[in-house]
Amino acid sequence: MSNASETLRADAPVIGPNLNLESMTDRISRIALRERAHAWWWIAFIPSAALTLLLIVAIAYLFYEGIGIWGVNWPVMWGFAILCYVWWIAIASGGTIISALFFLVHAEWRTSINRIAESMMLFGAAAAGIYPVLHLGRPWLFYWLFFYPNTMTLWAQFRSPLLWDFWALFTYVFASVLFWYVGLLPDLASVRDRAERGLKQRMYAVFAMGFRGSSGQWRHLRAVYGVMAAIMTPVVISIHSIVGLDFAGAATTGWHVTQFPPFFVCGALLSGFAIVLLLIIPLRRFLNLEDMVTGRHIGVLAKLLLTSSLLLAYAYLMDAFSACYGGNPGDLALLAARLHGEYAPVYWGAVLFNVLLPQLLWSRKLRVHIPTLMLLSLGVVIGMWMERYLIVVTSLSRPTLVSAWGVFHPTFWDWATLAGTVGLFLSGILLSVRFVPVVAMHEMRALIVSAQARSE
Amino acid sequence: MSPLNSRAHLWRSLEEAGGDPGLLARATQEFPLLAKALADPVSRREVLKLMAACMAWSGLAGCDSKFGDALIPPVRMPVNVVPAQPNFFATAQVLGGYAQGIVVEHVMGRPLKVQGNPHHPASLGSTDAYAQALPLDFYDPDRAAQVCVRGNPSDRAAFEAAFSQERARLKARGGAGLRILTGSITSPSLLDRIQSLLLAYPEAAWVGWEPLSRSNAHSGARQTYGSALDTVAHLDRADVVLAFDADLLSTDPGRLRYARDLAARRNPARAKMSRIYAVESTPTLLGCVADHRFIVEPGEVERILPWLLDSVRSESPTAAPAGTRPSWMAALIEDLKSARGKVFIHAGAQHSAAVHAQVHLMNEALQARNATYTLIEAQNAASPAMPAELMRDMHAGKVTHLLMLDTNPMYTAPRSWDFAAALKSVPFSAALSRHLDETAQQTTWFVPLAHSWECWSDARAYDGTVSILQPQAQPLYDGMSPAQLVDRYLQTQSRSSESIVKDFWRPRLSGDFAQTFDTALAQGLLADTGARPSSVAPRASAAPASDSEKSGNPAAPAALSLVLRADPSLWDGRFANNPWLQELPRPLTKDVWGNPLMISPALAAQHQLGTGDVVRLRVGDASVTSPVIILPGQAPRTITALLGSGRAASGRVGDQVGVNFHPFNALPGTVRFEKTDAHMDIATTVHHGLLGAPSEQILRHQDLSEFLGADQTPSAAASPPAATLYQTHPQGPAQWAMSVDLNACIGCNACVIACQAENNIPVVGKAQVLREREMHWLRIDRYLAGDAAAPESFFQPVLCMHCEQAPCENVCPVGATLHDAEGLNLMVYNRCVGTRFCSNNCPYKVRRFNFYAFAHEQHRPRESWNPEVSVRARGVMEKCTYCVQRIAAARIEADRDSKPVGKVTTACEAACPTQAFTFGNLADPKSAVLARKRSPLDFAMLSEEATKPRTSYETKVRNPNPKLKGVA
Repeated sequence: MSNASETLRADAPVIGPNLNLESMTDRISRIALRERAHAWWWIAFIPSAALTLLLIVAIAYLFYEGIGIWGVNWPVMWGFAILCYVWWIAIASGGTIISALFFLVHAEWRTSINRIAESMMLFGAAAAGIYPVLHLGRPWLFYWLFFYPNTMTLWAQFRSPLLWDFWALFTYVFASVLFWYVGLLPDLASVRDRAERGLKQRMYAVFAMGFRGSSGQWRHLRAVYGVMAAIMTPVVISIHSIVGLDFAGAATTGWHVTQFPPFFVCGALLSGFAIVLLLIIPLRRFLNLEDMVTGRHIGVLAKLLLTSSLLLAYAYLMDAFSACYGGNPGDLALLAARLHGEYAPVYWGAVLFNVLLPQLLWSRKLRVHIPTLMLLSLGVVIGMWMERYLIVVTSLSRPTLVSAWGVFHPTFWDWATLAGTVGLFLSGILLSVRFVPVVAMHEMRALIVSAQARSE
Repeated sequence: MSPLNSRAHLWRSLEEAGGDPGLLARATQEFPLLAKALADPVSRREVLKLMAACMAWSGLAGCDSKFGDALIPPVRMPVNVVPAQPNFFATAQVLGGYAQGIVVEHVMGRPLKVQGNPHHPASLGSTDAYAQALPLDFYDPDRAAQVCVRGNPSDRAAFEAAFSQERARLKARGGAGLRILTGSITSPSLLDRIQSLLLAYPEAAWVGWEPLSRSNAHSGARQTYGSALDTVAHLDRADVVLAFDADLLSTDPGRLRYARDLAARRNPARAKMSRIYAVESTPTLLGCVADHRFIVEPGEVERILPWLLDSVRSESPTAAPAGTRPSWMAALIEDLKSARGKVFIHAGAQHSAAVHAQVHLMNEALQARNATYTLIEAQNAASPAMPAELMRDMHAGKVTHLLMLDTNPMYTAPRSWDFAAALKSVPFSAALSRHLDETAQQTTWFVPLAHSWECWSDARAYDGTVSILQPQAQPLYDGMSPAQLVDRYLQTQSRSSESIVKDFWRPRLSGDFAQTFDTALAQGLLADTGARPSSVAPRASAAPASDSEKSGNPAAPAALSLVLRADPSLWDGRFANNPWLQELPRPLTKDVWGNPLMISPALAAQHQLGTGDVVRLRVGDASVTSPVIILPGQAPRTITALLGSGRAASGRVGDQVGVNFHPFNALPGTVRFEKTDAHMDIATTVHHGLLGAPSEQILRHQDLSEFLGADQTPSAAASPPAATLYQTHPQGPAQWAMSVDLNACIGCNACVIACQAENNIPVVGKAQVLREREMHWLRIDRYLAGDAAAPESFFQPVLCMHCEQAPCENVCPVGATLHDAEGLNLMVYNRCVGTRFCSNNCPYKVRRFNFYAFAHEQHRPRESWNPEVSVRARGVMEKCTYCVQRIAAARIEADRDSKPVGKVTTACEAACPTQAFTFGNLADPKSAVLARKRSPLDFAMLSEEATKPRTSYETKVRNPNPKLKGVA
């Protein structure tokens, strides 16, 4: 194992020199098979679980009382539920891009962070997925968005972007689970083989679904995984484009912009890279993965963060430009409110966190400077939330008809639900770190083999 | 004061104090059944059950004996009551003594909806917001059900016993010490009863007290003509209207008719436009529609009027020094003189008698009398004694018996009366009122007043026309009518309200009484009872007599003035327990649930006040704290307070809402005003401060000269539609559409309540309005243009536009909102899952959402809902349907009779006093709505959105005096 400062150089190799097949598999399996969790794990898990409990309380109260407990009003009919949904789905999509798109292009830096990115996708999608149902005025009737046979021969309405969104989300969540699970099978088998007899082994055995490592099984697995990656890449673009269409498809001031689908995908990239950085930086430290997640990984992610931040900067510019170019008084008033009106703090906050601060990453040194990266990534996560707030809330509060202008005030339950989904996401990540191999071992093996071949 | 004086306290203390022997003894006397229940260790539920049973029995006992003692549900339906078919019964609404004819719609015997009486001269088929809110008044669960003695429950028999005893004593001494206090009365039968009482008890006196008094107007007429006269205006004949602090459209007894007549001359596409000048200190409805609005401080009118009168009378321009009169006067005088004989000058009722006298003289000088108005004998001028005399007698201990009929002086009396102390010195007092209100809690006896839908009565309209008020339902509570109570002084046997009214009219009607009377009931009025125009000439001595004229001193500019006005939602406070009216956005400020002081932007700036900041207002040694709201167009040094809030005992809805300003009525002393540190959130339905000038896309307005100069071809709406890429909906046999004339709308809110009553729209309460969740399907947007000190006002009713290309329909994922073949944008409540995307996508923001189960939390019994309209559940979107239930009824009728669908009238259209709304079938070439859409003024709101709305507007046109261009 090489020392930390060595591995943190941006030109470090993707795997440490001392890593071989056996030691890698051993170390990763041992993380999953530990008898007792680390102290830091409990310190992180207990508050996360508490927040998840808060989410359950918030949902129960919501179902009992109605969405009046939130701050949504007339005219701001969509509030935290939609903005947090978009925010979470962006985070999940970022994970999918790393895992699927970079698999297709054979980026070798992706291998060791792929599992974390996929877990992020899974729990991000879970946090996002509950929001559209909670958002409904009558959530118990959410299944009316399905095409299901009923005596009144009623169908859902094809023209509504919400319907597309519902189906895109459904497809995405379903495919995410499959993608994550298929990639996990061989690793679950490895852990099963290393586990001592007992409940743990039996559990891993059940979830490994009889994966024995026969060449036929490998062939099928690789084919399925490749196909899934090829499917996931367009699916993730589609889910976030369609989320963008939820807005662009409406005639509402501030939403009716054709650039929204790609704009939203850029946002998804940015927040995805930021969250991956936020997760892998502490994990590589706490789990001693410095020689598997090296400066090369971090440097690449920092470059991608910078790139997507530039894409987003373009989108911001175009958003302002199209308001001015279109000349719609409602759009102009909204732009003015964002630039120098009451929403200026949120707008400039989003610009600062999403566009300006990431420009620091032009510096090669800062790209592997851990505190800077953590702060920048955290800033991006907050900045992306502000951007969603701008899009969802401020647009609605300033409709074209000035007599219907309003103000949105979030309530305790808005914040509680948001905090609860953060708890849900973190709990999910922590549980997966605890029980699931945190690095895709079977892919790492291929990487180690090819690295050894290269060095020989 | 007994521990059992208020309702909230009542039940709790009875439960808690069940073991208290003293209480038990008292209770045994007053309420034997309850005492028995209390003596036993019974559960709370059983006590309540017993109470309920007692109330039910006393309720039955209180029914007019005609109905007998037993009620049997009908096995066969009564004649004419057909399920799902409404019945209509005419009656009248009486406010401030004067009647407006109404027709009450009954469904399965339940009175549910009010419409105007088209035969009635003061209504012509329209109503105001108060009349529309009557159903909730009738079904108010807080109405008193029981006779009380000193605040404790009692019964009618005990009251009758006590009353008979007192009557005998009074009779013996000729009524000395008896005073009857009433509001303003025009009811012939009640007046007859009171006059008979005064004959039978010569020492007794009748006192009239109406907080929104018209007595100054009568005094003014007395100065000029020697007798009290009412003015009956014919505004449709006036080319120029000049009004000083007008109440023509707000509290005048003829307000509905005046609004109709005024609007008839306000749309240049249909009639020659009149010109309106308003001179006022606080914006009025007439001021908002006026072509010129001149802002003056309250005292200034008295200073201006003598000059104006001189100028109008003399041939040459006025002799008054030019520097001291407003710059607009010369042009105004010229305009008045040139329209001689077609002028109407009006002063609000709160102006002094001198002002009214001078206005009469000006009207005479301009030959307006019998041209634009007539004078009739005052309809409520039976000359009761003035309240001042009563107060003197009460404080002197000369009053032994005080009978208060449907009046609430404990709440409405000016501070100077010290009514509470005076009442304590009266040994026997009785209040007849609908609630156990402020006064009723302090009197010896309280008797529930029958609602006007529970008893017979009569009243006169502004022009003298008599209406008979007939009951609309079996009495819900054990109430008496005022005439019944007065009658008890004259008859040993109690008479029903029906026989009192019929016995009064029997000798007075010619022909077959039964037939004439029934016709009067069916028509809602007694034909030809309108007063004849008085021909009395002005007295020669009626020279203008105004002190200020002689001195000519302008009011000191630094002084503040406090102006009290009727609440446009709550009148004088009698409607405080009506949730519809409490949540009715006031026309000018759009605030609800409370009555902040209205101050000018200049005063606010001077004191660094924002809307909601709490101030302490002092007049003399009286003081009160109240939040303020900034009202553009208010005179800079004037503070306006609305009467009608701050009730202490109106019921669960109206208590502790706002501040009571009645005590400040005519209070002498300097008005002072200081800021406090407190702030109170003011619930308004304009959530984003004051609105700026509306864009052309939202509301179009122009001057008459622009209109006359413009191309007046029919608007595009009537021409064949241009080719479109959009899918057009299949065309059904009828095409529903609406046109709203912005020239007619006076912002009076009658349509808002009519819509709420018709469509079961819930009230959400102050907290939810603060969270921007009000539910009105129809709202009236108010826009201001120009200088905040003297802005131009616009009212724009906004309801669902029923767009042909409705943006809401595309975005609903479950298809809960869709289009029908007749152009209606339908809302399928059962299908709605509550994504709220439709509201986001609606450019007009007319959709309302049930954030909570609002409909299940309403302060009204279930039987008061309109059975034709679904009550919406939690989580469901709702909006204006063009009263689809009425359209459906018309379709059924058309199908049944195999004829085309006939005329459908929406609730807002029916209520509107100015006929601003026209609804109908575009496919019918003769329909009124098609004619209106062909108006050159027609425009669609936000037409750039390409939604092709079926609701369109007519451009607001103003007719300013060209000579006043640029003159403030």
